[in-house]
Amino acid sequence: MLNLIRKDIVLQKNTLLILLPLLFLDSFLDGSRIYVGILFSIAIVMQSFATDEKPSVHYLMNSLPYTRKEIVSSKYAGACVFSFLVMLTILIGNLVVTKELVPWEQLLFIAGVVAVFISLAFPFSYLFKSQYLMIASIVLFVLYMIVVSKFIPDLNDRIREAVRTLLSLDHSLLYGGAVLSVILLYIFSWMLSVRIYSRKVF
Amino acid sequence: MENVIELNNVTKSFKGFELKDLSISVKKGFVTGFIGGNGVGKSTTIKLIMNLLRPDSGEVSLFGMNYREHEKEIKQRIGFVFDNNILYENITLSEMKRIIKPAYKNWDDTIFQHYVNLFELPLKKQIKTFSKGMLMKASLTFALSHHAELIIMDEPTSGLDPIFRRELLDILHDIMQDGEKTIFFSTHITTDLDRIADYITFIHNGQHIFTKEHYKIEEDYAIVKGETNLLDRDTEREFIGIRRSNYGFEALTMNRQRTQNIFGNTVILEKPTLEDIMLYTKKGNDNYVESYS
Amino acid sequence: MHILISNSSKEPIYNQITEQIKGLVLSGELKAGDVLPSMRQLAKDLHISVITTKRAYEELEREGFIFSVVGKGSFVSEQNNEMILEQKRKAIEEQLLAAIQNSKEIGLELTELQELLTLLYKEDT
Repeated sequence: MLNLIRKDIVLQKNTLLILLPLLFLDSFLDGSRIYVGILFSIAIVMQSFATDEKPSVHYLMNSLPYTRKEIVSSKYAGACVFSFLVMLTILIGNLVVTKELVPWEQLLFIAGVVAVFISLAFPFSYLFKSQYLMIASIVLFVLYMIVVSKFIPDLNDRIREAVRTLLSLDHSLLYGGAVLSVILLYIFSWMLSVRIYSRKVF
Repeated sequence: MENVIELNNVTKSFKGFELKDLSISVKKGFVTGFIGGNGVGKSTTIKLIMNLLRPDSGEVSLFGMNYREHEKEIKQRIGFVFDNNILYENITLSEMKRIIKPAYKNWDDTIFQHYVNLFELPLKKQIKTFSKGMLMKASLTFALSHHAELIIMDEPTSGLDPIFRRELLDILHDIMQDGEKTIFFSTHITTDLDRIADYITFIHNGQHIFTKEHYKIEEDYAIVKGETNLLDRDTEREFIGIRRSNYGFEALTMNRQRTQNIFGNTVILEKPTLEDIMLYTKKGNDNYVESYS
Repeated sequence: MHILISNSSKEPIYNQITEQIKGLVLSGELKAGDVLPSMRQLAKDLHISVITTKRAYEELEREGFIFSVVGKGSFVSEQNNEMILEQKRKAIEEQLLAAIQNSKEIGLELTELQELLTLLYKEDT
């Protein structure tokens, strides 16, 4: 398992060497840490996923002494490692620039959103292909726009409001609940992906 | 004799193709050549053996173990080579080694280095710059560097120049010296088999036709040549496939002795090549299909 | 020890091997107790399959020309003189038959052939 995660890091070495310094430099700009963090985490995780999507890689991985369960699990564990690296970079970048720690709620929020995204994207990609994620997102976006324009015109504001209130809340129970449900979602997604991949024909 | 690979009544069907009740066994300490035309199920069979596919029904076992319970133990003991490249292309050979090495308990750097030197493979060049021959050599190097007991190869010699094909056969002979290793490989370059294969397994249209000692094939099968007027409803039944021309007929029999007794000196009997056997089996099958459809 | 394999011959390869090893034993080139190459080594050297050399060795063993010791290899057996003589006589007969065949083809008389044989026989000693 650890071998497989190490393999992903070796393979994404170049991506990491380019993106992480960029992320570090971004700390000097006055941008949104949360957006950038989410974007970078997802980009690296999905890049790593797409590298292994060719049939030839499936042949290689499944011919080596690994089980399909391990192959899938390593992707879920690896995603955590990559996101951790991104957040660590943000943390250090911020420490250097502002001499302050990033509020842990923000990091938690990044982790949460990335986890939710992966929970949806991985099973989808194992079932179809990560290439279709883009199409699926566009379809979802169009649906969202239709919903916004036709049915709930102020949905955007509501969501923004909801996020803001969520972040301003210091109700530990709420945080606990959110963290727990994200973790549950992640585990459920992982089990689902193992099931899908075990039956996959490549 | 011990069997390293055993397929028992394996069935696997796809759209428009089916492996039917396939039973194959591969003996320990020997080289088994796996032949059959394109699209008859060779690659599917190899995928079933490697657990890249699961059978719809039937049993696949390696070293007497099944994949359900012993997947990793089995794969630790297999070295594999596929006909197309399965190595990552955007990294170097030494990076690829860093990925594959930790997967195997018995990885041996000395052997790896030996083959890298022997094949003159560049460790620091990206794999995507490799030629077809180099890719094959690189795959073979990985397959041989972890003391695998079973080497499985899918069309390893296709697209290779004749010189390297000979070198490869020498390497395979070397591997076989201790009598503990087993090689199973598919090919359609049947002349390679004459130099190394102990057993030949032949499949056609998803069905196992035979597994025989290599020398036994020319004892059982024969190419028969004679005048066309020797053929009639009864005598035709002797043959697997028949080719007629204006000058006479040529046919394949799988019972050399009986054919000899029936026709005596009126026909010429010759050693068949593996290609002859493949060709006439296909011809016979096609005729069968034609006459019954 | 020389063994030559012909791929175009009608003789099966294992037969070619047994015949040639028998020849080497009968000619005295291989002596009792001499060790033969292992089946796998011979297969490698001749570029043929192991099962072919295995079959050849099995035949030689059955006919009493060689014996195997597990873990040590195959050795040439002590040869029965009578058997060797019988084998040699057979070989001579075959060669003479070939000579007769050739003689007939070019119309060489029996007396002429006998003269030739006497001449050659004396010359050699």
